[in-house]
Amino acid sequence: MKGIAKGLGVTLKNLTRKKVTYAYPDEPIEMPDRFRGVQHFIPEKCIVCNQCAVVCPTQCISLTGKPNPDPTKKVKLIDTFDINFEICILCDLCTEVCPTEAIVMTHNFELASYSRDELFMDKEWLQANNKKVRKENLVKPSRVKKGVK
Amino acid sequence: MARTEELLLNVGPQHPSTHGVFRLIVKLDGEVITHAEPVMGYLHRGTEKLAEELTYTQIIPYTDRMDYVSAMTNNYILCHAVETMMGIEVPERAEYLRVIAMELQRIASHLVWWGTYLLDIGAMSPFLYAFREREMIINLFNELCGARLTYFYMRVGGVKWDAPEGWLDKVRNFIPYMREKLEEYDQLVSGNEIFLSRVKGIGKYDAETAIAYGLSGANLRCTGVKRDLRKDQPYSIYDRFTFDVPVREEGDCYARYLIRMEEMRQSLNILEQALEQMPDDGDIMAKIPRVIRPPEGEAYVGIESPRGEIGCYLISRNKPQPYRLKFRRPSFFNLQILPELLKGESMTNLIAILGGIDIVVGEVDC
Amino acid sequence: MSDVNQESTERLDEQARLEICVRILEEEVSKQAVEHAEINPLSLSMPTLIISKQHWYRCAEVLKNHEQLNLTYLRSMAGADLETHMEVIYHVTCIERNTDYCFKVKTDRDTPSVPSVTSIWPAANWNEREIYDLLGIQFPGHPNLKRIMMPDDWEGHPLRKDYEPLDPEV
Ligand code: SF4
Ligand code: SF4
Repeated sequence: MKGIAKGLGVTLKNLTRKKVTYAYPDEPIEMPDRFRGVQHFIPEKCIVCNQCAVVCPTQCISLTGKPNPDPTKKVKLIDTFDINFEICILCDLCTEVCPTEAIVMTHNFELASYSRDELFMDKEWLQANNKKVRKENLVKPSRVKKGVK
Repeated sequence: MARTEELLLNVGPQHPSTHGVFRLIVKLDGEVITHAEPVMGYLHRGTEKLAEELTYTQIIPYTDRMDYVSAMTNNYILCHAVETMMGIEVPERAEYLRVIAMELQRIASHLVWWGTYLLDIGAMSPFLYAFREREMIINLFNELCGARLTYFYMRVGGVKWDAPEGWLDKVRNFIPYMREKLEEYDQLVSGNEIFLSRVKGIGKYDAETAIAYGLSGANLRCTGVKRDLRKDQPYSIYDRFTFDVPVREEGDCYARYLIRMEEMRQSLNILEQALEQMPDDGDIMAKIPRVIRPPEGEAYVGIESPRGEIGCYLISRNKPQPYRLKFRRPSFFNLQILPELLKGESMTNLIAILGGIDIVVGEVDC
Repeated sequence: MSDVNQESTERLDEQARLEICVRILEEEVSKQAVEHAEINPLSLSMPTLIISKQHWYRCAEVLKNHEQLNLTYLRSMAGADLETHMEVIYHVTCIERNTDYCFKVKTDRDTPSVPSVTSIWPAANWNEREIYDLLGIQFPGHPNLKRIMMPDDWEGHPLRKDYEPLDPEV
């Protein structure tokens, strides 16, 4: 019975320790800056290069462009931009390739919903999702040169 | 004379102690198992098939989801296979970051095992202790790469992020803390008489059987076979560290338990050395072509994941997508011995034996 | 760990190991057993041998039991559809000497079949089932060759290059 007594000693010692649990969801959890959450989309910045849709490993981005109303400019404007969060794995690749940071990560992760249809997010929703945007987005591993910041 | 009848029992697919969606059909004679047949495939997502249409960078997030308890080593095995074929030299700092990530992952993975294993055999509180410490590691990973389980941290040629400010110090502080906790775990459980009677001499096999079934990791080392790919076929920079490979002779569940506990300590030693040797500055990404295209041919590489040898067999046709990608998943091999071990055991030992193998069903089914 | 005397623990270089293996197989099994032998530079200089199908079972026995080889540990097993033919690839290891070999057995695509080695390396059991399931290669001699990953009533073998998913949703 010595082993059990020893074990009980550990339990007693832990009784007086500080709590380590979170009060989530009553208190929101702060995520570190690099956290990959639901994307924020900025239509004005998008140049409809389609790179994000190509690089996405689950093909969950669908976008269409429209011609620029100003005929002197060649750049197309974004028309529709949808992400299907049923299959998005929040892998960060779309934000990594976007040359203009039109699509960036945020710290929002609460996606649970009662219907699958609600997981299909359009341009307007993604644009409105502008809280807690991640600071460092344009980090392409191949471009980073120096070590510690 | 009492007449007995054979009883067919389904354990799973939804059963808390199968650690995933895994089914076991057992034939019982009273309390004794006469035949056991594992049925799997419930978590089969066709990673190997999907990979044939993806570029190498796109496959890495899929590997996260194979062994979701140890995603870092999965990331590494794919990158390592491609790097081996292309002859890419990974920068020093990136290698150290990878090793630190992988060793932290080994501890986190063993903690999950330790907690859930004891939960399986009836001890509630160790689970809470283990997850308290694991949470710290997961928070470290979250700061490093922005995800708690599916890290997608490594890339072909290096890693995605350098360590954020103060991160390495946090790892440094974690080491003595974890050492102390391991001490506590030992006091809490390792000498507990009830625990000992549940695991000592249970699920025993010898070295010859272990080798024949292709077991690896703690499942192999518990029979006295000293095989750890970090030592035997050093990859990355593991040849720069001094650490022990714990081996035991008994071949039972208790031996596997002790080995995993000791492995956590050894991982802490590696972490300590890695933090010390790590260069302060430097690239974290090798110069790689924009489109990753391994030369035509094939390669097999294996590394030591927390569960054993995880390997990657890659056939390339000089295209951005692999022609054939095959993962050697340690859980898949380790699980094969289960029907053999269960024969003649009692029903209560089933849980102790299954848990002792340490499987992750996402990896069995791939 | 069993003791192997000093001489044989010494790691021979890959070329020498390859030649020894070819010689043993030719002596013990048949002159035609080894179709091709080379060092694979891409795979950490792995000695790679292509074994003819009809001699494979006998070769596997020799590989496991010959004291100069002692390849008791089946490290990995894979199947591949190479469009011209199919292949089963075995990576086998001698634990004591820490030496690896790769063996390949070719088979045709229409009725692919390779002798089962489950009775030699029990580790091959589920792997053969997996290869059968995903590639449709038969393993005569296997104790229980049925699907392992896909549902039992699944049609076709997904990893074959000519696989057509019947259900467009999949
Ligand atoms: S995070 Fe990944 S999966 Fe999600 S939309 Fe971006 S690229 Fe696609
Ligand atoms: S990569 Fe960026 S700029 Fe290009 S289409 Fe996507 S969001 Fe727009």
